[in-house]
Amino acid sequence: MNPLKIMFLSALGLSGSWTMAHSAPVELDLWTIDQPGEYHYVMAREFDQQHADITINVRTVQFRDVVNDLARAVATGNGPDVTYIDNPDMALFAPRHLLLDLAPYVRKSDIVDIDRIFPGPLASVRFDDSLYGLPRGSNTLALYYNADMFEAAGLDPDQPPTTWEQLYQYAKALTDSSENVYGLAFSAINSEEGTFQFLPWVQMGGGDYNNIATPGAKRALTLWTRLIEEGLASRDTLIRSQYESTGTFNAGNAAMAISGPWELPRMSEEADFNYRVAMLPVPEKKAKRASALGEGVNTILANTRYPKEAFEFLEFMHANMDRVWNEFGMLPASRVEVKDPNFPQAYAVFDESMKYARTRGPTPEWQKISQTIQQAVQSALTGQVEPAVALENAQLKIDRILD
Amino acid sequence: MPRFKTGLMNGLIDGKGFDTTLVLLSLGYLLVFSAFPLIFNLIMSFQQVDLFSLAQLVRPFVGWDNYRDVLTRPESWPIFLNTVKFVGISLLAQVSVGFALALFFQQSFPGATFLRGLFLAGWIMPALVVGAVWSWVLAGDYGVLNYGLQSLGLVRDKIFWLSDPAWTLYAVIIANVWLGIPFNMILLSVGLAGIPDDLYEAAKMDGATCLQRFTTITLPMMRAQLGAVISLGTIFTLQQFDLFAALTQGGPANASNVFQYWSWQLSFENYEIGQGSVISMLMILFVILVAVVYVRSTRHEQAS
Amino acid sequence: MSIKRIILLALALVFVSIYLFPLYWMYITAMKGSTGIFAYPPSFWPEHPQLAIIEVWQRHDMGRYLFNSLLIAGGTTLIVTVMGSGCAYVLSRLRNRWMDVVLFAVLMMQVLPSSLMITPLFVSFEQVGLTDYPRTAVILAQAAKMLPLFIVLVRATFLQVPRELEQAALIDGNSRLGAFLRIMVPLARNGILVSSVLIFLQSFGEYVYSRSLISERALQPATVGLQSFMGPNSSDWSGVMTYAAIYVTPILIVFVLLQRQIVSGLTSGALK
Repeated sequence: MNPLKIMFLSALGLSGSWTMAHSAPVELDLWTIDQPGEYHYVMAREFDQQHADITINVRTVQFRDVVNDLARAVATGNGPDVTYIDNPDMALFAPRHLLLDLAPYVRKSDIVDIDRIFPGPLASVRFDDSLYGLPRGSNTLALYYNADMFEAAGLDPDQPPTTWEQLYQYAKALTDSSENVYGLAFSAINSEEGTFQFLPWVQMGGGDYNNIATPGAKRALTLWTRLIEEGLASRDTLIRSQYESTGTFNAGNAAMAISGPWELPRMSEEADFNYRVAMLPVPEKKAKRASALGEGVNTILANTRYPKEAFEFLEFMHANMDRVWNEFGMLPASRVEVKDPNFPQAYAVFDESMKYARTRGPTPEWQKISQTIQQAVQSALTGQVEPAVALENAQLKIDRILD
Repeated sequence: MPRFKTGLMNGLIDGKGFDTTLVLLSLGYLLVFSAFPLIFNLIMSFQQVDLFSLAQLVRPFVGWDNYRDVLTRPESWPIFLNTVKFVGISLLAQVSVGFALALFFQQSFPGATFLRGLFLAGWIMPALVVGAVWSWVLAGDYGVLNYGLQSLGLVRDKIFWLSDPAWTLYAVIIANVWLGIPFNMILLSVGLAGIPDDLYEAAKMDGATCLQRFTTITLPMMRAQLGAVISLGTIFTLQQFDLFAALTQGGPANASNVFQYWSWQLSFENYEIGQGSVISMLMILFVILVAVVYVRSTRHEQAS
Repeated sequence: MSIKRIILLALALVFVSIYLFPLYWMYITAMKGSTGIFAYPPSFWPEHPQLAIIEVWQRHDMGRYLFNSLLIAGGTTLIVTVMGSGCAYVLSRLRNRWMDVVLFAVLMMQVLPSSLMITPLFVSFEQVGLTDYPRTAVILAQAAKMLPLFIVLVRATFLQVPRELEQAALIDGNSRLGAFLRIMVPLARNGILVSSVLIFLQSFGEYVYSRSLISERALQPATVGLQSFMGPNSSDWSGVMTYAAIYVTPILIVFVLLQRQIVSGLTSGALK
């Protein structure tokens, strides 16, 4: 943190404590998916220290329970003041006016400049003229590859595959079934992670969640099916999470893997080979890029008693965006300068990918659409339906859902 | 229900107050804590429910719309068949293996009771751990089961237990049978221990063979226990959820999906809560069937 | 004769080792790095075994979690055993249409999985203020979930107790309650104890109610604590397995010894 910012933040803290000095102490409830020692716990503690009259009570909720627990809490009037929400779930809450519109606060803020937020994360919080949260950080996808295996197969490790066709050729060259090595590891699991991995391919191919049967998307699913059918990727791709798939990469049983930055700590410890990161290959040279957008949003519930203090806390977290990579393993969701980033080569690639990261949706029907996409992908990968037909059927379903 | 109560009241006056109190205590407890959620779900299956009205009772009624919606989906029939297969095969396998093991450990040899107790491990391991371990055992590429089968020369190519639509349901059944064995085995052991030895000795004197003793003494004496473990086993199997979440997520493409997992997916992943409740109500039909068979089977207890 | 016993023992060891393989794998994984999980061929003994028992215990404050688990499992077992034994006894002795209805109702009461029961329970508990006593709330809810199981199991045990013994006790001048407590319960103690053990173990592993009803970390049981190894995108499996090994091992030992007492030691005696 630079000295200027420290001064500024402590001034903020002072003014905060001065205005609150003669009123009752403020308690903010914060729900997070983090464990003690992680992002929200650290942020809350630091904020507490600067604001004598504000106490933040942090509660951990399991990632997959956040939406259900929040909905129930809102219905019974026991919701928190500030909470984490995963970015595609924002669209569930936003149209119901359950979240505080931050637009008026941001207009007056000296700290938050929404023009600096990457377009993907911003699209997940901005609904028409309202702003329902601030992205706390992000993640996205890239291609990890085993440079040693590239060399052994006579491929140039400085020239990772850049197009879909190249990816296929590389995967073929790198597959060695006698050594239990697959060319590529990715995830087509029957859960949100499966959609997270497939949707960028659809978007690169000119489609999106509501336009899934484009020629580009069909090409993508055909390529995925070929990878599985020709044994260039494991059949278990259909039941492996991204973390499990990348585990096989770390163990030397896959030469390339598609996953996000959360893999880096484990990979740096356990992969005993030279690995590198490249951007996701595109349909053909110079085609439009796209990547997935992960991670969540800091939001304030509309019925909080302390909107001003809650927003101060959001501002505080936003001001610390430059720390999220090195300290908490998230990519910054806005353009900030990260000094001495950990894993510099990977950081450069992921940071560049963030420019193309696109949100899932936004639509309040996201979950149903996501399930439809997973089903389509899985039915094609198991050879039950032709890829093109699977996507056309999915499109019919999606049209009905969005109707 | 009110008639039922007066019936019991009459019983009380008849001087059976002791029995009535004991029954009412438990029944009352269950009505307070279990009947309400049951009715709540029943009502939801006729309502239009979304995530944010989940915690209320007043919601628009939609008649049979949810039922029509769910039952006309193309996946509903295959998932129903999967459920029948999952429950039927799991039950058959775990009762017969459990019974066989109970009989085996009934014989006298050093360490019999100690070794039998080790089977409780299946009930002590947390669901999260059981699911993860089975997913590694059954994994296609690095799985221990494939490794074993290949080393023994039983299969040539790896079987993708969890991702090949032809195998995936059976893979979950294998893990579920593993989970069900201790329950069946320990309880049937207790039943076996309760059969007086002199019955067997008398039969032996009459020259009955091993099989005859099993069919004329063991089976009839174990009727109540078998009825109990079968009916409870059905209910447990119908509630098995963690294994699906850990192993296949109902996939690939619903190949291993069953009602209990589908119901959860609809309610808590897709937020189609009315539709999810419909599935849970259909599951109750299964249990009604089991309960009727069980209650009827208890009639014979009296006769024997 | 002794050869037969040795063959039986050998067979038993084979059965047990096949059955316990997943347990073994839990211990092995606790000692492997997470990449070791995905290695092929699988290693049946880790090259550099490392078991971070003390670190996991301290970092996750497992003593507190385990205390809460014991409390919840113990409370549930107590409620279920006290209430369920009586009900099971009556259901095994009386036969009429009402008892059919009761038996049917009891079975129906456990039809819904916890995940579908929790929302209505949560809402009603909140209405009456039970959520202020979160562990009690979990005990009450879990007892309702386990009670039908217990009743059906113990009922089967009571059926095996000959009626004549009870009749004799009544003729000896015992009250109904006296005959029940002094004659019936001791004679059915195997079934009652084994069923209580199963209830205890199930409740020790209870997760769905606890995670919804207990928001305060200090009051949560070990199953909820276990989830802290599971992130949205990553999971620390060797941590999960170490944590699980720490809590499974002592319980397994206690109950293996206990069931030996229950099933073998007490069987003989009274019934003959």
